[in-house]
Amino acid sequence: MKSGLYYKAKKIIVNTLIHIFLLTVSATCIFPLLWMVSSSLKTQETIFKDISLIPKTFHFENYYFAWIEGGFGRNFLNSIFYTVAVVLGIIIISSMAAYAFSRFKFPGRNILFIMFMAAMMIPIPGAFVPLYILLNKLGLRNTALGYILCMINVGLSTSIFLLKTFFDKMPKELEDAARIDGCSKIGIWRHVALPLSKPVLAVVVVLNALIVWNEYVLALIIFDSKPLMPLQVALMTFQGEFVTKYPLLMAGLTITALPIIIVYILMQKYIVKGVTQGAVVG
Amino acid sequence: MSVRRLICSLGFLVFSGLFLSNILGCSGQKGSSKPTITVWHWMTDREPAFKELAGWYEAKYGVKVNFDLYAPSDAYLQKVRAAAQGANLPDIFGILGEKRDFASFIKAGYILDLTPYMQENSNAWKDSFFSKALAVNEFNLGDSYGVKPGIYGAPIDIMTIQMVYNKSLFKQLGLNPNRPPQTFAEFLEIGKKIKEAKLQGLVSGWGEIWMIDCLANNYAFNIMGKDKVIATIKGEVPYTDPDWIKVLSLFKEMQESGILAYGLVTMVNKTAEQLFANERAVFAFNGSWCVNVYKGMNPRLDYAAFLPPKVSDKYPMAIWGGAGSSFMVSARSKNKEEAVKFLRWPTERDQQAYLAQATNNLPANKESLDQIASVLQSFAKAMDSATHPRIWGVSEFSPVIEALDKGIQSIIIGEKTPKQVAEQVQRIKERELAKKR
Repeated sequence: MKSGLYYKAKKIIVNTLIHIFLLTVSATCIFPLLWMVSSSLKTQETIFKDISLIPKTFHFENYYFAWIEGGFGRNFLNSIFYTVAVVLGIIIISSMAAYAFSRFKFPGRNILFIMFMAAMMIPIPGAFVPLYILLNKLGLRNTALGYILCMINVGLSTSIFLLKTFFDKMPKELEDAARIDGCSKIGIWRHVALPLSKPVLAVVVVLNALIVWNEYVLALIIFDSKPLMPLQVALMTFQGEFVTKYPLLMAGLTITALPIIIVYILMQKYIVKGVTQGAVVG
Repeated sequence: MSVRRLICSLGFLVFSGLFLSNILGCSGQKGSSKPTITVWHWMTDREPAFKELAGWYEAKYGVKVNFDLYAPSDAYLQKVRAAAQGANLPDIFGILGEKRDFASFIKAGYILDLTPYMQENSNAWKDSFFSKALAVNEFNLGDSYGVKPGIYGAPIDIMTIQMVYNKSLFKQLGLNPNRPPQTFAEFLEIGKKIKEAKLQGLVSGWGEIWMIDCLANNYAFNIMGKDKVIATIKGEVPYTDPDWIKVLSLFKEMQESGILAYGLVTMVNKTAEQLFANERAVFAFNGSWCVNVYKGMNPRLDYAAFLPPKVSDKYPMAIWGGAGSSFMVSARSKNKEEAVKFLRWPTERDQQAYLAQATNNLPANKESLDQIASVLQSFAKAMDSATHPRIWGVSEFSPVIEALDKGIQSIIIGEKTPKQVAEQVQRIKERELAKKR
């Protein structure tokens, strides 16, 4: 017969091991961020010589130079604008489309849905040249609208898939109740489906915000004007073929990482809920 | 009004402002009597110098030049390809990639033939360049590319890949800091001293195997001459030839002498540059771009470039080199003449010297050499020994190059003998030749 002390000791050991494992995982996640911040405060020379996380001298001026040299001011606002516009567009279109796929029966529904899913398999770089030519013909090349439409298109498939999976599981009784209360189809989508899908929407927001915020290749291809470029393109100016301005690059990266970290922190509650409630099942 | 509502309203106002300025605020160019030349490039490190030159040009000739930077280079490459298909190429641009990509742009009619301009005033423009710098932009009769013979681009800088040595560590080893090794035997002797002093010897990016290929080719040219190397590529001489085995044996000798740094076969060039810049390695095998890299990592580094020490006196030592970056004029540009006039200007003596001083790259204009830093001069002086696979007119099969380079790695780690590697490479060569037939 094992004593209570045995079970207590076992629990402590197991918990300690679990915590050591979790701490190790956390450290591996946090270390690159700390290294980035630390390097952003060093000089080009000390970055290769001083490997300690806390620099001997702090060079906060790197942030100023990164902001000025990279022309971050306008690009920063552009990135915020593109991210908000694209995420809003994706939420509206994908939630409507997913609701329709989940609840309405119409000819070709399954084929259409499969086509959307198939779009997830197409690597974006493979579509750059056709996209460029299409935008050129539509007169949307080198316009913010052209870029936003492309990026909405990039995020739609995954978002529709996530939301449809959620709507499929949503009890139909709630919609029946809304219908009895006089809600139209759009009304049910707006007042029942959308509020209930908040956790999944949070996942959709974070996933797509990350994609748009970090995107630079498509922007570089379709924009010719510097004032239209997003922040990530400005960041690339520090990275040369042979020479990279590491302190400025790291300072720039810290600046660009901040907003997305803030978005994550604000939405953390919903994301965890979304994931744990099976929002991303499938 | 609640605080939340106020924040929402403000947010809406800011977003609407951005929306209107981004969507509706077109950035069309204002009308001007003089044309504006647009140049697309990918060279982040040269952007400030290009802008400075553009300012000088506008002040002197009244023509505005816009240098538009699109980095990194792989995204730039995609932009140029897409722009070509959409008929949106700028007046001047650069092409990255293989010479066959360059040829496909010419065949599609996107690039202007600069030969008539180069030949004006008794070849004045053409003769201002190092001939080997121009070769990369030149297509000759009988080339496999199927392009009308001519010069289709102007180099703005050049590069060579050589050995560099640390003068301070040379002194520490009791060697003359102004006399790098001239022969392979001397080089190996230094290896012994390096081993005794417990220093790192030669560092290089041999994990990125093309640099091994580069040094192996240098020695192949020195041991058997260009004609025999080309004959091997054509399949007329086997890799099992004693000369090729001699080339492969050099790597074994280097390993045994202790001249090669620890972990060299998996080393990436960035690590090699870091080790050399921080004075932890005596030698490095690197391109002339390293001047800029080392300056950033350690401005006090005392070093110089030298040709890889020769093994044989029968043939001259050859190194890889040629045009670093080149610009081309769009054949469909409305401002072709102005664009050519501008392209000629930064390749002139003084502008080339300015570019070399500001960017630490080697000038393409051979008359600018006396105006550049001594370490750059030491790289540029070897331009006479430069060659490059791009200008040989024939190219080796990729699997053969890979087998040769990986084979050299196996020799260094003692896994295979030079003879075994030569036999293996020859088997792959025969297989590829059979496929082609």
